[in-house]
Amino acid sequence: MKKRLYLELENCIGCRSCLAACTQCGGHEERNRNYVYDVNPLVDRQTMPLMCLHCVNPACARSCPAQAIQIHETGAVLSALVEKCIGCQNCTIACPYGIPKFDTEQNLMYKCDLCIDRSKDGIPPMCASVCPTNTLQWLTDEEIEQKQNKFNLDNGKWVTSMPYLEGETNVKVNLPGILQGISKLY
Amino acid sequence: MHMDNYKNPRDNFFKEIENINHPDETLVPTHCSYCAMQCGMNLRVNTKTNKIIGVEPRYDWPVTLGKMCPKGVTAYQQTNHPDRLLKPLIRDDASLKGTKKGFREASWEEAYDLIVKKFKQLQADYGKDSLSVYGGVSMTNEKCYLNGKFARVALQTKYLDYNGRFCMASAASGINRSLGIDRGSTVPWTDIPETDCLFLAGSNTADCHPTMMFRVWAVQERGGYLIVVDPRETPVARRADVHLDLRPGTDLALANGILHILIKNGHTDDDFVKKHTNGFEETKELVKQFTPEYTSQITGVAPEKIIKAAELYGKAPNAILLFARGIEQQVKGVDNVSAYINLALVTGNIGRPKAGVGTITGQGNGQGGREHGQKADALPGYRKITDPEHVKEVAKVWGIEPEEMPGEGVSAFELFGLMEKKVIRSMYLLCSNPVVSAPDSNYVRKVLKQLDFMVVSDFFLSESAEYGDVVLPTTTWSEDEGTTTNVEGRVIKINRAQMPLGESKPDWLIQVELAERLGRGKYFSHLKTSEDVFNELRLASKGGKADYYGVTWEKIKKQDGVFWPCTKEEDPGTPHMFLDKKFYFPDGKAKILALPYVPAAEEPDEEFPLHLTTGRVVYHYLSGNQTRRIQFLKDMCPEPFVEVHPETAKKYDIEHEERVRLFTRRGEVIYKVKLTEAIRKDTLFVPYHWDFEQAANILTNPALDPISKMPEFKACAAQIEKLEMKKVQ
Ligand code: SF4
Ligand code: SF4
Ligand code: SF4
Repeated sequence: MKKRLYLELENCIGCRSCLAACTQCGGHEERNRNYVYDVNPLVDRQTMPLMCLHCVNPACARSCPAQAIQIHETGAVLSALVEKCIGCQNCTIACPYGIPKFDTEQNLMYKCDLCIDRSKDGIPPMCASVCPTNTLQWLTDEEIEQKQNKFNLDNGKWVTSMPYLEGETNVKVNLPGILQGISKLY
Repeated sequence: MHMDNYKNPRDNFFKEIENINHPDETLVPTHCSYCAMQCGMNLRVNTKTNKIIGVEPRYDWPVTLGKMCPKGVTAYQQTNHPDRLLKPLIRDDASLKGTKKGFREASWEEAYDLIVKKFKQLQADYGKDSLSVYGGVSMTNEKCYLNGKFARVALQTKYLDYNGRFCMASAASGINRSLGIDRGSTVPWTDIPETDCLFLAGSNTADCHPTMMFRVWAVQERGGYLIVVDPRETPVARRADVHLDLRPGTDLALANGILHILIKNGHTDDDFVKKHTNGFEETKELVKQFTPEYTSQITGVAPEKIIKAAELYGKAPNAILLFARGIEQQVKGVDNVSAYINLALVTGNIGRPKAGVGTITGQGNGQGGREHGQKADALPGYRKITDPEHVKEVAKVWGIEPEEMPGEGVSAFELFGLMEKKVIRSMYLLCSNPVVSAPDSNYVRKVLKQLDFMVVSDFFLSESAEYGDVVLPTTTWSEDEGTTTNVEGRVIKINRAQMPLGESKPDWLIQVELAERLGRGKYFSHLKTSEDVFNELRLASKGGKADYYGVTWEKIKKQDGVFWPCTKEEDPGTPHMFLDKKFYFPDGKAKILALPYVPAAEEPDEEFPLHLTTGRVVYHYLSGNQTRRIQFLKDMCPEPFVEVHPETAKKYDIEHEERVRLFTRRGEVIYKVKLTEAIRKDTLFVPYHWDFEQAANILTNPALDPISKMPEFKACAAQIEKLEMKKVQ
């Protein structure tokens, strides 16, 4: 059963375990590939991860003059092929979130590949495996739909960003605010 | 109960997930080396080099399901770390104590010979009690147990205590006093998402026990309520339905104030109170005074918030109340614990699934390590060294005469006082780093320097090891096997993934070998493996409150851990406490206690107008001796800081990231300022994981709780100052 990365931003505590775990994936050469930001520094402790959303029509791949960024059959947008990447950094500029990172020493781009070794067999990527708060989850489409229904606010808006942020993405994101839609037990 | 198929409870979060197993690698299932969440993990071991090379989630561990905080993810990097001590070290020039200098490598034989010679000489000159042992609870149950026996039987000294005094001592005393038995949590963690109201008092859960968080949030996702008591709006307080943002050190008033409303608004379970508790009437009388207005005056929390919290807790069909160091590390830590337990007792929120109380244990084995006789007044199985019957029971297992059992010693911080007075001439320190973790560190350093002889056992050269005459290289958690008892009271198994690096040895083996050389081999030589030690622990705990007799390593594996008490081989253990509503007192009734409010030992005044409180960050563990050496954790949080509210900062004319002088009556430290609105205006916060010039404990107040001897890390009076005072214009 196909599973997707699902982000529930409200839950994040900023522990950056997702980044530590990213370095543990076999193909990652111990470099982490995503980001965690303080949303309101100096004000409160809200944080959020910024992950590659694995766009269905990825700007990073489209912008690559060397066609170094391949799309896996699962939809995962892979890291640039080392033998093709020319180090132009077009991808970082093209990505609406600036996700691809750059290794200046090797003159190569590297980015999240959804731990393709794992996710191709339905095993959750490292970040979603360890995330202590369930900000990062690995869910079936059915489970994601349940979330959508549950966090549907009665004001005609989803709390979730679904279906799209900039364009259709394989990763689904739920923006902060889930608690507004919940009716209390007593 | 059919023992054969018994498994401990799982919750809806449990999923069957396969692991990735790379070629040339084996996975060794174990648990994290750090906090009492004891997250399950698989260590990845290269089958050619037989070395640990990484970590893989342990999805099938029902408590944490593969989740880990960044400390857990990088924990494996300790094992083959370049800073590991690989051979015993001896320092001949005592004038170099307190520095890293002057150590030379030695053989185990030479180190043992020197230790035995010095110990014997000191005991001949100054008596048996001139030696002391200072332990820790990041060790397995086997080591914690053996450490107590080693001090009492091999060294025959009464001066034994442990770093739990800075961690779990108040919780232990308070829970014992209210409920008669200290099984840290009365419910397993799998109950948390199913409760209707979760009350967290003095716990920065997100930073200190991150892998609890998915269950904490789940309470709110179900429509339940979250109440958090903390002077800071921590990441968990940020989302609370009610955040009780009290002044540091005023928890007792807050708990009494909530109790006042619970009684006044009819949220008491009168039947439960009558049948299963004592002390309600006196307590009711005492809390009459704690009206929301009066409570608000003391605590600084708005009266409406106090009422709302009491209403939510009082109306909950099921509520779980958990507390942590925030309420415990105070001069009235024990009273705070009992005062919060009062809330559960008057509302009957204890003794059934999804309702209970618990302390969120700090250190990895903070629970097990406090149960088996590593404490000045304790013997295995939570027995008392002052009770002649208890002494008799343990003496029999140890093969000594009851008269040979040393008496009660003193608490960890009080040991330093006796060292200063030269009553204690030597310390054998293991698994602890008091130079960083004890309060008033300037004083602690001075005292350690004066010791005639100090032995330290550690796997890194800690700040405390710098005071050692002999430093023994011990194994990390991943090079030995044994058990720990996690935050829930579940006994679990730590497995060995790699053979000891260099010449390092596990502490239990070091103690057996030392005992033999001290001429006490007949009490220790039969302990050939860690499992032998565990089996002796089972016997020594049999019949005590913390009864492990029925726990076996095999059973732990089969049923995903064993909750104590577990008294018989056919007993699967006790995930839920008090289901029969029998508390551990002769009349079976729990104690509701009338606890008058007293302020912190040091309250702000004109000279020191601000509250200072200390705590943790998610990236570091305790004294930082382990985590400060891990690159990822160092990168994420390289140095301590002082958190200041922007309005307070304005008054002092200081800015974000500016370095300021922070001082108290004990000392001063220079910190970088971190501005945040998520703290009270009258309060400063500093994380305590750093050494020497940056140690928060240069500032803290060593005032001790009279019962638990816990220092008041969480509240003292302080002042800040700009480094270069600008001229007044
Ligand atoms: S691991 Fe989860 S909670 Fe921690 S920073 Fe990453 S997304 Fe946030
Ligand atoms: S989020 Fe950015 S890096 Fe990821 S697939 Fe889309 S465009 Fe590429
Ligand atoms: S430090 Fe605690 S929460 Fe973090 S991984 Fe280790 S046991 Fe889990």
